[in-house]
Amino acid sequence: MFSEIAALIVLLPVLAFILTLFLGKRLYSGGALLPIAAIAGSFIISLGVFFEIYPDKTVQQSWPWFAGMNLGILIDPLAIVMLLMVTFVSLLIHIYAVGYMAHDPAKPRYFAETSLFTAAMLGVVLSDNILQFFIAWELVGLCSYLLIGFWYFKPSAAAAAKKAFLVTRVGDVLFLAGIILLYFNISDVISSRAFSLDQGNFILQFRSMFEAAKFIDPSQLTLITLLFFGGAVGKSGQFPLHGWLPDAMEGPTTVSALIHAATMVTAGVYLVARTFPMFAATPVTIAPELHIPDSLLIVAIIGGFTALFAATMGLVMNDIKRVLAYSTVSQLGYMMLALGTAGAIVGAKAVGISLFHLISHAFFKALLFLCAGSVIHAMGTNDIREMGGLSRKMKITATTMLIAALALAGIGIPYLNIGTAGFFSKDAIIEGTFELGMETGGWGWIFYGFAIVAALLTSIYIFRLWFMTFTGTPRSERHPHESPNVMTRPLIILAIFALLFGFMQSGFYLYLEKNFELMGVEIASHESEEALVLPPIVVLMPVIVGVVGFLISYYIYHLKKLNMSRFVSSGNPLYRLLINRYYEPRISADIIGVKLTHNIAAQSGEFVDRKIIDTLIIDNAISNTLFRLGELVRKLQTGVVQNYASVTLLGIFLLVVLLKLTGGI
Amino acid sequence: MAALISLMILIPLIGAIITFLTKTRQQARAVALLSSGISLLISLFLFLSFDSASSSIQFFESYQWIGSLGISLKFGLDGIGMPLVLLSNIVIPLTVLFAWGETKQANQFYGLILLELVGVLGVFSSLDFFVFYIFWEIVLIPMYFLISIWGGPRKDYSAIKFFIYTHVASLVMLLAIFSLYFNAWQISGKPNFDMFYLLENYSLLDGWLLKGIITVKDAIFVALLFGFIVKMPAVPFHTWLPDAHVEAPTAGSVILAALLLKMGGYGLFRVILPILPNSDSPEILITLMAIIGIVSILYGTFLALAQRDLKKMVAYSSIAHMGYVTLGAAALIPLSVSGAMFQQFSHGLITGVLFMSCGVIQHGAGTRIIGDLGGIAKHMPKLAFLMMAGFLASLGLPGMSGFIAEFLVLVNSYFTLPTFVILALFGIVFTAGYHLWAMQRAVFGTFNEKLGHIHDGANYEIASMAVLILLIIFFGLNPNSVLNMMTTNAEHLVRFVALRGVIT
Repeated sequence: MFSEIAALIVLLPVLAFILTLFLGKRLYSGGALLPIAAIAGSFIISLGVFFEIYPDKTVQQSWPWFAGMNLGILIDPLAIVMLLMVTFVSLLIHIYAVGYMAHDPAKPRYFAETSLFTAAMLGVVLSDNILQFFIAWELVGLCSYLLIGFWYFKPSAAAAAKKAFLVTRVGDVLFLAGIILLYFNISDVISSRAFSLDQGNFILQFRSMFEAAKFIDPSQLTLITLLFFGGAVGKSGQFPLHGWLPDAMEGPTTVSALIHAATMVTAGVYLVARTFPMFAATPVTIAPELHIPDSLLIVAIIGGFTALFAATMGLVMNDIKRVLAYSTVSQLGYMMLALGTAGAIVGAKAVGISLFHLISHAFFKALLFLCAGSVIHAMGTNDIREMGGLSRKMKITATTMLIAALALAGIGIPYLNIGTAGFFSKDAIIEGTFELGMETGGWGWIFYGFAIVAALLTSIYIFRLWFMTFTGTPRSERHPHESPNVMTRPLIILAIFALLFGFMQSGFYLYLEKNFELMGVEIASHESEEALVLPPIVVLMPVIVGVVGFLISYYIYHLKKLNMSRFVSSGNPLYRLLINRYYEPRISADIIGVKLTHNIAAQSGEFVDRKIIDTLIIDNAISNTLFRLGELVRKLQTGVVQNYASVTLLGIFLLVVLLKLTGGI
Repeated sequence: MAALISLMILIPLIGAIITFLTKTRQQARAVALLSSGISLLISLFLFLSFDSASSSIQFFESYQWIGSLGISLKFGLDGIGMPLVLLSNIVIPLTVLFAWGETKQANQFYGLILLELVGVLGVFSSLDFFVFYIFWEIVLIPMYFLISIWGGPRKDYSAIKFFIYTHVASLVMLLAIFSLYFNAWQISGKPNFDMFYLLENYSLLDGWLLKGIITVKDAIFVALLFGFIVKMPAVPFHTWLPDAHVEAPTAGSVILAALLLKMGGYGLFRVILPILPNSDSPEILITLMAIIGIVSILYGTFLALAQRDLKKMVAYSSIAHMGYVTLGAAALIPLSVSGAMFQQFSHGLITGVLFMSCGVIQHGAGTRIIGDLGGIAKHMPKLAFLMMAGFLASLGLPGMSGFIAEFLVLVNSYFTLPTFVILALFGIVFTAGYHLWAMQRAVFGTFNEKLGHIHDGANYEIASMAVLILLIIFFGLNPNSVLNMMTTNAEHLVRFVALRGVIT
């Protein structure tokens, strides 16, 4: 019965959006209860659907829309795990926000927009076709724009919102180009009769796409999937479109939690996972020795590089939210890396590996942000240099944040299979890159390199953050206090998930493995029959780097045994490079945005328009002549311009006579 | 059923006369709203009883006029005209409502607005080429006065420029119409201004002009095309538009952008595409149109980015958006053509909101210069909300009508004009760029205290903008209600083109 009302999963939060926007002012806490109830409803329906379709059923509903397109719902294992995560995490963040946003006068707008944000993400997740996916995807972008710019009267917020929209828009245009190319190619294989749409299927539905992909020219398929990936790079903040995410801190911290965990950046990873059969079907031409399909190879390289690249910047940031933002960029890199590298060996299982990290990350990253929110709420600043010693005043926040940090660093005990969520989810990815290196050798090892070094840096930056915030002596005169229950309860719930979610690993993999088989899509895998037994050092390595990172941070930031002032100074070029974020803001905003686009392209266009077309040609050459003629006519006539009308009619009759006399043309 | 179209045109005409005669502004605006409202009801009835599956003319009416010259009053609607008739009848009452507070020579002001409605309805429903041309010219005159009486400081310059530009283009078009007319007369021995008859007889033209540089057929094609694209307007014949908008009163701008520009696009579908296959060099002419389309898109976008006056920026955005109409028409795929038609309809609604926003800002804050504004959302929250929605629609946000139009044009034009589509995609990021950049500087950020005391839009202004936004969302989610009839006629047009062997 829940399957029949699956559309309500999206529609309830949409309804809450409309009601809260217009009636919120008159309701308790700015109408917060409406989205909370709606999202709780979505969560319950999702849960109901899950129990109905587990382990091997799907929900498919579809209605015709315009021009051969359709609207529809597809809930398969991939979608349902996302639905459960998004609704659950979003629900907790909404509850937390009742406390966090308590003193903001614009609460109705806040809760309306976060409700729409959640609805848009749910729309992405349960789309059964790529057009609807794109539409919901764009609405996600819209909501992030509105929420990052929530405090629109702050110039920095307005600028950050615009940057987020425009940078992701670059990706969106690539995504759209991919859809255009896909539509063209599917139409092409239909008209050449290589492929036909089954009764009731629509051209841009995922199942049509996967079937048609077999007939599409391989190089076109590579191009299509890479364009899709371009969209994912924008949305998931991968290099080189990562710059908007750390700037997206201008909104309320709860918005950051939503963006980073539940409702936005994971959409890019989800896009690659959703269209994974097409990525896996691309030809192997770039690196035959690695056996990785071209598009997956690019996904792996970008993902792996981003994982490392973002982690380096996380090391030096002083804004508590910005450290976490780079951490998100880095972890999303891991998810992409998992899809790319694991896809080469284990085929469809890669989706499970990536999604498991996505969901485990959602729990601990939401937790990290909400803890950061709790700290900011108490301290009134984002700067960790002004914090310190908070663990005595904020026991719950400090403990839960430590749990989240341990999960992010992937701490656990190998062989006993005890550990945090990140221990299970991230280590699987790192081990996958090792297997790839083992099988292919050569430069196949580069992915393991990315993954393991990034893991070390991850551990360093997150414990640096924790030690600087919670231990030592307070570095500023403030009187922090623990946050109210409505904020700490969600922290505790998320902490439980960050600790225990990892134990669902094998069940999760098993469930998602069959995802594409349910749609009748086969994905090749190169996995050897015998399970590869990894040497102990490989199994231990991720945990070792995690612990080493912890110790380094403990040594430097807790014991303060190492004077960092020589490194942390503007005289150090490496530090300068990192603190300036590899000059990305300067390149994207100043050079591309202002100088190239506005000052050069737009202003020279303006010059051409006003000075050449208008003044030189039209005004001087043509209009002046006409003006003189007009003056003449005006003098001949009564001088009133109504007479243009009579002149027109007169002209018509003159022409009639003239043309009649000459016998037409 | 009979005579509904002529009734729909006649009522605003009578309304206009009565409005001119009214003594107070209250009477004037009431008459204006009432008569345009009745016209809207008639068009709604026509729209709802329209058969979307048929590509032929519906609600046909014909009356003898000047028999000796073959001129008669013929009206009728198909999927090309019907949506635009509906659009005109939506936009005009809302414009009257938006301008509810007009005090200067109110009777003339509202009367001229009604005359605009008469003109555009006539253009979109006339099937006699001579009558079509008369309505085409009628539209110019009230707009000239709206700009020159109620306009800004440089109103005289702008009004004359607007008039001369579009008038010259119309005369060139008229020459072409006459050549068609006399040619057909010569062949059949009987004068007839029937539009379809003349367009069919286009294929019988032959000969060369200008010592063999261009054939007669191509010359007539280019002359007609010129008449239409100046109106749209397309680069490089566009410079009258920003000037006209900057000086025009808000109501004038709304009508100009939402309806008058659509006449040019209408001409492409009604006149240009049917004769295209019979021209002597269709491939070259298609490429010419595609180039005009893409240049308008990109050029309009970059120029919009350079503007300091909010209204001028919106004017340039119109040029870019109308470029999609030309591009979609040139691609000659059924759904690209109906996407282009949908773009006309959608842009009419969206640009209305944008120009109304500019009007409310001008009125409430005293300036439209983006750099002089700043943070006005604080004191104009309703305006900020609706303007944001309008800007999002204009930058092509899915869920709103503009997305459907641009998506259809881009996806389907790729079949025949792939390079042009790729170029158009580049414009999308910059389109988002200038919209959001303008919002950031004008509406968001810290409030510019130099503006002093500013106030939000009046209720009637906010209401008319809100109605437009609701319609934009309605047609964005439910495009079929107008798209189906457009697609029927687009398929008909394209089949006709394909039969002549111009391929797509």
